[in-house]
Amino acid sequence: MPNFFPRWTNWLPIKILIGLGCMGTIAVAVLFWVFTPEYSRAGYQPQQPIPFEHTIHAGQLGMDCRYCHTFVEDSAHSNVPNAQVCWNCHSTGKVLSDSPKLEPLRQAMDVNYEGYTGEPIQWVQIHQTPDYAYFNHSVHVNRGVSCVECHGKVNEMEVVFHAKGQSMSFCLECHREPEKALRPLDQVTNLDWKPEDLDRQAFYAYLTGLSKGHGAEAPDYSEEMAEDGPLTQKEIGTKLKEAWSVRPPEDCTTCHR
Amino acid sequence: MRWFFLIAFIVSVTLFVGIGPRREKFSSPPFEIFPDMDHQYKVRYQKQSPLVDGKAAQRKPVPGTVPMGFVVPEGTAAEGKAVAEFGWAHSDDYFNTGTFGDYYGEGFPEAVTVDEVLLARGKQRFHINCMPCHGEAGNGQGVVSKYWAIPPTANLLDPRVVSMPEGQIFWTITHGKGLMGPYNGTITVKDRWAIVAYVKALQFASSAPLSNPEVKTLFDQAQAAPPVTAAPAGDEEAKPAEEAAKQ
Repeated sequence: MPNFFPRWTNWLPIKILIGLGCMGTIAVAVLFWVFTPEYSRAGYQPQQPIPFEHTIHAGQLGMDCRYCHTFVEDSAHSNVPNAQVCWNCHSTGKVLSDSPKLEPLRQAMDVNYEGYTGEPIQWVQIHQTPDYAYFNHSVHVNRGVSCVECHGKVNEMEVVFHAKGQSMSFCLECHREPEKALRPLDQVTNLDWKPEDLDRQAFYAYLTGLSKGHGAEAPDYSEEMAEDGPLTQKEIGTKLKEAWSVRPPEDCTTCHR
Repeated sequence: MRWFFLIAFIVSVTLFVGIGPRREKFSSPPFEIFPDMDHQYKVRYQKQSPLVDGKAAQRKPVPGTVPMGFVVPEGTAAEGKAVAEFGWAHSDDYFNTGTFGDYYGEGFPEAVTVDEVLLARGKQRFHINCMPCHGEAGNGQGVVSKYWAIPPTANLLDPRVVSMPEGQIFWTITHGKGLMGPYNGTITVKDRWAIVAYVKALQFASSAPLSNPEVKTLFDQAQAAPPVTAAPAGDEEAKPAEEAAKQ
């Protein structure tokens, strides 16, 4: 009986396997690159109805985030300000009230304006948690997680963009090691804050005050106070984590109800 | 085989070049291949909902109704008792209005205890909401006055404001005055009283005599402490400087 298969077919199965492997690798790489929020959402910089500049308001004027995002400390949702908040400064006869950029604001607020509709300004949402995940702003802000940890340095953004890919792993990274993000409460809205700027004595005095507020006996911080050198994020975070008993949950029901 | 690797290489390079780097800025809405249940029909804060004619999901109350938790007017509109549309209040007592009938009240309502906690809260809220215009000391020289010549911002240390009863300051925060907008939508009632307390404290501090040894000690301590440099190292433009010179 002659050889039914020619000689070159001996290597065919191995070649097919290698080929499939290569194609699989390319497919996985593309999926990994394209289907994660790091690619699909981070960098989203939509055009807003009013070209609001955070660089001017939060940067140059140094206004607190909470002047506009009023109820971030009390609510799960960090609110976009209503038009009245803009109107406080930009009403007729005040700052830049004639600017054509503020047209949508006048439509919403100025009763004497010919194009007045009274309809709210249609701001475009940039950061969007999926509807099956429940994120609570207030619990994070009230436990020393700064805005900057998730939103980046908004005070340096002329046009706000999605700075960080807010995937589930992004949340979990921080929930597993919260000490990397905690800071004293009065610095939560200070986006330029650096741990080494914090005075050692002032920080431990703050910690002692925290324990007092909880009615517990303050731990003895005299050893740490006597140490030299600037504070590090690790030290600040670890101490705050202890003082507040921060135990971020990691089970599914935390966010998916 | 050789051709296969070449083609695979070319395909992958084109793919990655075509797709572009991560975190690249783009303005079109994010492309979702599998939206799964990311966007559900349910009502969420400050969102539009297809269930209510595509407009804001949070509805305004129906005209002529009063939401739960607010006070129902004692009489009809014909008797002049009914509240204006959306003008309802939690109550018309001193705590919620700052007035007794047609008069501003003096002192703090019973529900508010003036202590360190309240003053600290007032300080924080003052810095958030009032400082941009009225200044950290309340002297009307906030950061806004540095850049724009807004018609005079009230100097809270002025005798006119110092002589105001607490209720009137509360009322002014709530309803605004002159060019100042109303803050009833952004500051809660309790926080408004905290701000009133802090403003009173600022006024007291500005009038405290240095001849008092206690005040003198505190003043010296504050002088000796390193200055707080919160001001952003920004470009001090020539324009505001000129405007400042004019004034």
